[in-house]
Amino acid sequence: MIRVEHLTKRFGGRAAVDDVSFQVRSGEIVGFLGPNGAGKTTTMRILSCFLPASGGKVMVAGKDVFAHSMEVRRHVGYMPENVPLYRDMRVAEYLAFRARLKGVRGKNVRVRVGDVMQTCGLFDARDRIIGQLSKGFQQRVGLADALVHEPEVLILDEPSIGLDPNQIRHIRTLIKSLAHRYTVLLSSHILHEVEMICERVLIINEGRIVASDTPDNLVGLMKGNLQVALEIKADLDAARKHLMQVDGVTRVSGSYVGRWCRLRCECGKGSDVRDQIAKTVFDNGWPLRELTAQKQNLEDVFVAMTTEGERE
Amino acid sequence: MRKTLIIWQRELSSSFLSPIAYVVIAVFLVVAGWTFLEAAESNAGSQESLEVLLFVSIFFWMPFFVTAITMRLFTEEKRSGTLETLMTAPVSDLAVVMGKFLGAFSFLFVVVAPAVGVIYILAAFSPGVEGVDSGNILGGSVILVVISSLCISIGLFVSLLTRNQIVAAICCFTAICFPFLIRTAVSNLPVGSDQMLEYLSAETHIVDFARGSIDTRPLVMYVSGTVFMLFAAVKALEARRWR
Repeated sequence: MIRVEHLTKRFGGRAAVDDVSFQVRSGEIVGFLGPNGAGKTTTMRILSCFLPASGGKVMVAGKDVFAHSMEVRRHVGYMPENVPLYRDMRVAEYLAFRARLKGVRGKNVRVRVGDVMQTCGLFDARDRIIGQLSKGFQQRVGLADALVHEPEVLILDEPSIGLDPNQIRHIRTLIKSLAHRYTVLLSSHILHEVEMICERVLIINEGRIVASDTPDNLVGLMKGNLQVALEIKADLDAARKHLMQVDGVTRVSGSYVGRWCRLRCECGKGSDVRDQIAKTVFDNGWPLRELTAQKQNLEDVFVAMTTEGERE
Repeated sequence: MRKTLIIWQRELSSSFLSPIAYVVIAVFLVVAGWTFLEAAESNAGSQESLEVLLFVSIFFWMPFFVTAITMRLFTEEKRSGTLETLMTAPVSDLAVVMGKFLGAFSFLFVVVAPAVGVIYILAAFSPGVEGVDSGNILGGSVILVVISSLCISIGLFVSLLTRNQIVAAICCFTAICFPFLIRTAVSNLPVGSDQMLEYLSAETHIVDFARGSIDTRPLVMYVSGTVFMLFAAVKALEARRWR
């Protein structure tokens, strides 16, 4: 549905997006992840025909964004960052204006506006002035606007930025409910969000795609993907020695917390050795008050992927 | 065409949603009316017709008025980011520019028409006056329409070049003042011929038209100027998409 090949965008010599290629299949929800200034917004603006690319080829819904800009725009629902809206208009009035602008005609305007207000939970706010709505509601108006002409592709730039946790949850549920009906590309730097919503993640850094996979696989890519933390009452050195003998444990570090001993065992890829660690603890008769598995999350992957360049 | 009308409709309705519109209307009607009154009093007994005085008083405030209308046209969209939503909808650049132009023009029409209509009320309540010379009013209205179109298209173009309203206002005001002041400014300098200045001066055209003599040359000049400025505006909007 979206095909990007060797996309490059330069702003006065500096490449904001540098030779980026990726694909999004029909019905997929893909997260576009990267630190600020990585080139997320630029890429999305090119996909939505707001900016031209300096090089490369971008096809959305089977059409080239540069050559068939109008066609592409008809098939794309784009929600820019910070959701710019005409603040002096009322919600229903604004959505009707946008629907007509995007080519919805006659009686359909009313039907579509009604539908998207229902989907986005805006029915009670239909007659309110947009400028007086809370940020969360404005975000919903932006999403309703992106949906109003029944596009095939949704491009959402930071859909949950600046919202409080409840509003984030709402918007997240909303986006999830759109899955499979639309092809969605959303950008975010909130990792948790991408992890929860998206089937696939593209990590972009300094204008280049550094990783592209499902959140689980990306996490799996990381070395030592399981860490077990435990607190026992024992001699630190002895405990360390015994735990190192457990098959699969690669490293043990620890320190005293009061009279307790806090240890962290790093395990090899794919091995879950919690039961064996527990057995070792019981065999030695150490009092135990905590044993937790700390799985690495997307945040660790993100940090690892996006700071590699800095270290070089 | 359909998209132009949709944008025109929004522009016009949003003009009347903001309090600025009502302030501008009130101020314009008061100052233009006051200027007309002053002009009529100081020209008492002279040959100049009231129609000419009326149109000259309206035109006197035109640069301020047009600047107030046009400075926000695109600057506001750029500043708030709505240009991005507008330009990612399936609308052509021409439709956007024409919609905005027609919106501003209609707003100006709504405000200026009552100022012209004042003369009929005045005539109805003045026992000594036989009536209004509708030829003069027609001539004045025609030149009013073409000159204000040009001024609006200039303002529209300028508002596309910056995202700062103050910068837009200053540039727009200067550009619009140019045809009004050119004769006064240049007539004392030993450059150009008087006849050329005569052709360019809005002041001369206004007086001629308001006396009922409709000349096609200035009409062609203002209309082609408007078309050119709108063309430039479309190109300025398009420039964003140049590789």
